[in-house]
Amino acid sequence: MVGTVLTWATLQQTGEFWLAFLIAPLIGFCLGAIIQRVVIQPTSNVAALSIVATFGLSLILQESVRLTFGPTPRRILPPIQGTFSLFGIDYEIYRLFAAMVAVLALVGFFLFLHRTKLGTWMRAVRHDRDTAIAMGIPAQRVYVFTFAIGFALAALGGVVAAPITTVDFRGGVDILPFCFMAVIIGGLGNLPGTAAAAILLAVLEGIIQSFADPTAARIASLVLMSAVLLLRPQGLFKGLTR
Amino acid sequence: MTHAATIERALLAVFAVGMVAVPWLVPALFNQFWVSVIAEILIWSLFAASVNLLFGYVGLLSFGQALYFGFGMYGVAIGIADFGLPFWPAFALGILAAMAMALVTGIFAVRLTWHYFAIITVVFSLIFYFLALTNKWLTGGDDGINFTLPPTFQLGAWQLSFTDATFQYLFILATVAFCFWLMHRLIQSPLGKALLAVGDNDVRAALIGLNVYRLRLIAFVLAGFLAGVAGALFAFFGRYASASYMFYHVSGEAVVWTIVGGAGSLLGPIVGTSIFIFVREVVSSQWEHHELIVGLVAILVVIFAPKGLVGLWRDWLAALTEREPHAKDRLQVEPTSKS
Amino acid sequence: MSEPVLHIEGLTKRFGGLSAVDNLSYTLAGGRLHAIIGPNGAGKTTLFNLVSGLLAPDAGRIFFCGRKISGLKPHEISRLGIKRTLQIKSVFPRLSAAENLWITAQAENRFLHPFRAAAQDRSIAEKVDRTLERVGLAHLAHRQAGTLSYGDVALLEIGMALISEPRLLLLDEPTCGMSPAETERAVENIRAVARTIDIVIIEHDMEVVFEIAADITVMAQGAILASGSPQEIAADERVREAYLGRPEDEDYVEEAAHA
Repeated sequence: MVGTVLTWATLQQTGEFWLAFLIAPLIGFCLGAIIQRVVIQPTSNVAALSIVATFGLSLILQESVRLTFGPTPRRILPPIQGTFSLFGIDYEIYRLFAAMVAVLALVGFFLFLHRTKLGTWMRAVRHDRDTAIAMGIPAQRVYVFTFAIGFALAALGGVVAAPITTVDFRGGVDILPFCFMAVIIGGLGNLPGTAAAAILLAVLEGIIQSFADPTAARIASLVLMSAVLLLRPQGLFKGLTR
Repeated sequence: MTHAATIERALLAVFAVGMVAVPWLVPALFNQFWVSVIAEILIWSLFAASVNLLFGYVGLLSFGQALYFGFGMYGVAIGIADFGLPFWPAFALGILAAMAMALVTGIFAVRLTWHYFAIITVVFSLIFYFLALTNKWLTGGDDGINFTLPPTFQLGAWQLSFTDATFQYLFILATVAFCFWLMHRLIQSPLGKALLAVGDNDVRAALIGLNVYRLRLIAFVLAGFLAGVAGALFAFFGRYASASYMFYHVSGEAVVWTIVGGAGSLLGPIVGTSIFIFVREVVSSQWEHHELIVGLVAILVVIFAPKGLVGLWRDWLAALTEREPHAKDRLQVEPTSKS
Repeated sequence: MSEPVLHIEGLTKRFGGLSAVDNLSYTLAGGRLHAIIGPNGAGKTTLFNLVSGLLAPDAGRIFFCGRKISGLKPHEISRLGIKRTLQIKSVFPRLSAAENLWITAQAENRFLHPFRAAAQDRSIAEKVDRTLERVGLAHLAHRQAGTLSYGDVALLEIGMALISEPRLLLLDEPTCGMSPAETERAVENIRAVARTIDIVIIEHDMEVVFEIAADITVMAQGAILASGSPQEIAADERVREAYLGRPEDEDYVEEAAHA
C-alpha cells in the first residue's frame, strides 16, 4: 500500500513513473529498518506482543496515509499502453511487463539468498540463531536488514501494481490474506514454495471465478489453506527447498 | 490477605457500585449518550474476555473469536426476524449456535499450536465471514438484518424491554457481570487450575496425565460461549446484525484490547476495551484520525508495559505495599556437615 | 517372577543423520534403584523421552509391565503409572507450590469440576501438605512456583513425582542445580521412595549415583556400554575410559571398586 502511494506521489511531483522504481523501494527499505529497531526488536521475545505491535503499526501506516493522501482512491495510468494478442485473447502489455518484473525480482532475491554472503547470513540466522552468532554473524543487524528488504520488496510490488489496481489507503487489507495463504501453503521460509503457492492460488481463484463469484473463489482458497495447515503444516512444497 | 489484595477488593467494590449507578449518575453529570457507550464497552469487554480466556490463561492466541460473536449475533437476529422467537429462546439460540460452532471448529483448531493455531482461527473466521457476506438471503450481508426487539420480561400488560435505556443498560451489566463471575469461579476450580497448568507448560501437563487436547477444546468452547453471549447482547443492543462484525479486524481489535489491558488477569479485558473505546468516542468527535492514537497506544503499551496495564498496576501496587518483599522467604544459609 | 517393569527391544530414534538411540535393548526387572549414567549426548534423555511418549520411536518396542506402550500418547502413558521429571526443571509457574502438587494429584481425574473451589477436597489437601513436608517446601506452599529458586523448583518436581504415586518413576538429573543440603534431602527422599516404587535415575553427580544406585547402566552414543553393580561398573575399563576418568570422581570410583 505504501508502495502504491509513493508511486502516486512520485508521479505527481516529478511526472516520471519510472522514478518510482527507485524511490519507493528505497524509502521502503529505510522505513523497514526503522520499524524493525523501534517496534519489532523490543517485542520479539513474546510473539503475541509483536503481533499487537504490528497491528498497531498497520493502523498507524493506514491512518497516516489517509491523513496525508486522503481517503479517495486514485488511479494511475499504465506507463506502457497498448495490448497484444496471444491465442486470440488480448493482453495488456503492461501486465506482461509487471509479470516480468515480478519474475526478475523473485529470481534476483533467490540468487541473493543463495549466492551472496549476506543472503547466506540470513538463511543461517533463520536456521539456528545461536550458532550463527557464535560464528560471528551479527544476528541483530541481519534481522534489521531482512525486515528492511521485506519492506522494500513489498514497496516494489506496490509500484508495479499501482497502475493495475487503485491507489488507496486500504490497499493493504485486501492483499494481506492472500499473502498469508501463499506463505503458509508454500511453507514458511520456503521461497520457491511460496512463489509456487501464489501462482497456484491465483490460478485456482481465477478458474473458480469463471463460473462462480470472486468470494466463492476466496473461500475455496481458504479451505485449501485450512487443509494444508491441518494435514501438512510445513507447506505443500517442502521438497523444493534445499 | 496482603495489603495489595485488600486495596484491589475495595476498588472493585467502588467500581461495582459505580457501574450500577451509571444510568442515573451519567446523564446527570454528562449526557445520556455515554450510557450507551458504557453499555457497548461492557459488551465488547465480554468479547475481549473470550480472547483473554484462551490466550491469557490457556496460552492459545485466537484471532478468530469474531466468528462466534457473529454466530451469537446472527442466532438472535435470525431467530427473531425469521422465526419470530421471543427474547429468551432467541438468546439461547445465539449462545448455543456460538458454542456449537466453537466445538466444531475447535476440534480441528486445537490440534495446532502457536502461530498455526492463530492462523487457522483467522482462516475459519474468514471462511464464514465470506459465506455470511454472500448469502444475503440469510444474513443480509454487509447491510445486515434489522429487527424489532421483543420484550425481555412480560407479565400481562406490564413489560420490560430494551427500548427502555435504563433496563437495557442494567440487563447488559447484569449479564456481563454474571459471565465475569463465572470466569472467576472457573479460575479457582479444579478445571481452571488444569487449564492454567496447560497454559503454563503443556509438556509437563501431559506428563502428569492431563489430556491437553481435551482441556484446550473445553476452553475453546467456553470462550465461544463468552463470545456468543457478547454477540447476542450486541444484537439485542443494536436491534441489528451484520456480517462486517465477523471480519478478522474485529477479532484483532479484541486481541489488542486484551493485551493492552493485561492478558491473564480477570479485569484486563475490561481495562483495555474501555480505554480504546473511550479514546475512539472522545477523539473521533474532534478528529477523524483517532485510529492513529489507537495504533500508537498499542505499540507503546506493548513495548513499555508488556504485562499490560493491569500488570503495570499490580507491580506498582506490590512495590508500594510490600515494604520488605518476601523477607521471611529469603534464602536460608544451611549449615553443611557432609560426612 | 512377574513381568519386568520395563522391557525395551531394539529401540531406535534418529534425528536427521544422527542416531540418538541406536538399537537399544534393556530390561528393568524392578525392585532395585537403577541409575543411567553417561557423557552428554549419550541418548539418556532421549531414552526417557521415548519411554514417556514425548517422542515416537523410529524402530523398536517398549513394554511396561508386559503392556506395549510405544506409540501411546504422553498423558496415556502417564496415567498407566509412569511419571518423570524433566532435565530442565519446569513446573507450573503461575500456580503456587501447593497447587502444583494438587494438580498433579488430580490430573488423572476424568472429570474436573468447573466451579467448585479447588481447596475443598480434604484428602487430597492432606496429601499435598504431607508431600510438602517431605520435600521441605511447607514454608513455601503458597508462593507462586515461578518465583521459587531453582533448587526449590527441583524439590517441587520431586514432590510432584512423589504425590502422583507412580509405578515407575523416571528422574532426569534430579539434583542438578541443588545445594549440598538440598541434595542431601533429595537423596533421602529418593531412597525412601525407592523402597516401594521402581526408580530409574539419570545423574551426573557420581557421589549420588554410587550412594543410592543398586544397578548402574552406562550409555554412550545411543547404546548401552556396560551394565551391572556399582563395583562392576567402577572396575570396568571401558567405562573408565569413556566416562569415569575424571579426577574429581576418582575417590568414589576407587571406593566403589574396592567395596
